[in-house]
Amino acid sequence: MRFKIIELVTLDTVILLPAIVLLIIGCFGILNSKSLINSLFSLDVIDTATISIFVLIAATSGSQTPILSSAKRYADYSDPYPQAIILTAIVIGFGTQALLCTIALRLSRSTPLLKYTNLEK
Amino acid sequence: MIDSPIFFVVLTYLPATLGFLGCIKPKFIFPIAMLTLLGISGISLRAIFSGFETTYKLMWTGGIEFSFDQYTFPLLFGASLSLLIVLSLYRDKLSHYFYQICLVLLTALTVSFSSQDLISIYIALELTGFCAFILIADRNDNKSLFHSFQYLIGGGLAMLIYLIGVVQGFQFSGTFLITDLSTATTPALCLIVAGLLTKAGIFICGLWVPNIYSHANRQTAAILSGCVTCAGIAPIARLSVSMEPIRNSMIVIGILSAIIAALYAVFERDDGRALGWSSVSQLGLAILSPSHACIYAMQHGLCKTLLFSTLSSPNKKDTRHFSEQESPTNVPEWLLVAIFVIASLSIMGLPFTSGFITKTWLKGDLPLEASLITSTSTLLTATVYARLIWARVSIYRRNISRVRPHLIAISSGINVQTIILLISGILIIAFSLSYPGAYYYDNIQSSLTAIVLASFLYTSVAGLQTENFVKPVTKTLDLVGAPFVVAALLLANLFYFKI
Repeated sequence: MRFKIIELVTLDTVILLPAIVLLIIGCFGILNSKSLINSLFSLDVIDTATISIFVLIAATSGSQTPILSSAKRYADYSDPYPQAIILTAIVIGFGTQALLCTIALRLSRSTPLLKYTNLEK
Repeated sequence: MIDSPIFFVVLTYLPATLGFLGCIKPKFIFPIAMLTLLGISGISLRAIFSGFETTYKLMWTGGIEFSFDQYTFPLLFGASLSLLIVLSLYRDKLSHYFYQICLVLLTALTVSFSSQDLISIYIALELTGFCAFILIADRNDNKSLFHSFQYLIGGGLAMLIYLIGVVQGFQFSGTFLITDLSTATTPALCLIVAGLLTKAGIFICGLWVPNIYSHANRQTAAILSGCVTCAGIAPIARLSVSMEPIRNSMIVIGILSAIIAALYAVFERDDGRALGWSSVSQLGLAILSPSHACIYAMQHGLCKTLLFSTLSSPNKKDTRHFSEQESPTNVPEWLLVAIFVIASLSIMGLPFTSGFITKTWLKGDLPLEASLITSTSTLLTATVYARLIWARVSIYRRNISRVRPHLIAISSGINVQTIILLISGILIIAFSLSYPGAYYYDNIQSSLTAIVLASFLYTSVAGLQTENFVKPVTKTLDLVGAPFVVAALLLANLFYFKI
């Protein structure tokens, strides 16, 4: 199987590139973090990147607001289904962050630096 | 059976509603909640035996599709019954919010067992993760808080990986239904399966299981092993049935999990961790056969719930891990030992216990090459439980010889805890009589041989179990990086090896 790189470079994939770079940065961060706060931030970065990928893929079909109308302006509308669904993922991500912050707050009373090396004993 | 969508909507969302109402009137709702749990387990038990199946759409056309079938009912039965056992056994020690969280957990589990829709599964698994997190953090010391942090961050990352897979699948099919995933690309399938495997706690992804089981309260460990790890099994089984490549990959992952986790369990000294590793190994066996995965996971979950509830109270000297872990009071000690032995024998697969039947079904479904490895795993599992039974019985005998009145004294009269334990012990044996086809000569002989061999094997490895023979995996990096490794493994398998 031989990859044809020229065929892979289309407008859709180029649009996705920044989000994928963000995803890689987040994964690098979470695998190299030394303290709880670092991994908490990295998880948020991955969360944002995932949501961006979701929204960008949903927007490939069109870029207008999805409103039911006969006007020509709204003919080229984007798919509303994934965008409605990703709201749930955003809220869940927020909930996860809140719970993780609570735990970090509780743990910081005994180990103020929140280093993994101190906590993993 | 009542075949109406409204009945199943009520069945799904009644526990959560009761849980939230319980915040207002905790003492009034608790008996109603227990009756609901009993009712749900009764309905699902009847549906298992009658082979009932139905599908419905929430909000009619274009809505979310749910399917109550033979993947859903066994797991639903197991989840509600194990919650019932735990809540009634530990009734005196629980705070009110414990049972409220448990009821919300049951709704999340029901959605994840019955949903046909990838996004609903995502939401249900996240809710399951949150509930499990709160239950683990219930113990409220530094160790368990840190492990619940690890669980939440690992689970959150796994679900994000899953979400990326879902959107890749959506790009090609245009829907979020499981059945339409057959048009999706290979990387999408890998990401989805890696996320689900992490939630189910199967090897490499399931490294969190032993840590959490040994650092959570006894009742939390029982609930986690009984229902939470089953949440990932139903979607995996549904995916494996509809797609050939995933079914073939699951055999590789399942065998790795069954053997390696069982080896870890053999050399582990801590009882909680050994049970955790054995849980990873058993769920690995379960995913080998998509059609019987759910009933196998149910049987294993119920036995694990009983095992964790009847595990011996730790010595006062060793309070490092077990400061608040105690077996239920008000129950005579001999009954705890008897239930522990029966549940262990059931997981070992002794004839005339439920584990024997589910093992027979599983064996009938496997390819010939995999059955040898299954037998090896059975042998290793039997070794682990031989050690656990020996340890439990010797602790009981030591207590008798020292005459500790608070441990041996048979409490006055018969109470609810005793009855629940007795009924569950009888159920394990009674279920084995429901399928007489399993009792033929070769089958009984092979299972007895495995158990006898395992007893000999136990005496030979007993000397190897020094204090730090197996280093526990505690690094967060290992827990968090594991889903990536599994996704890469699946990708390599689907692209190049094609096993």
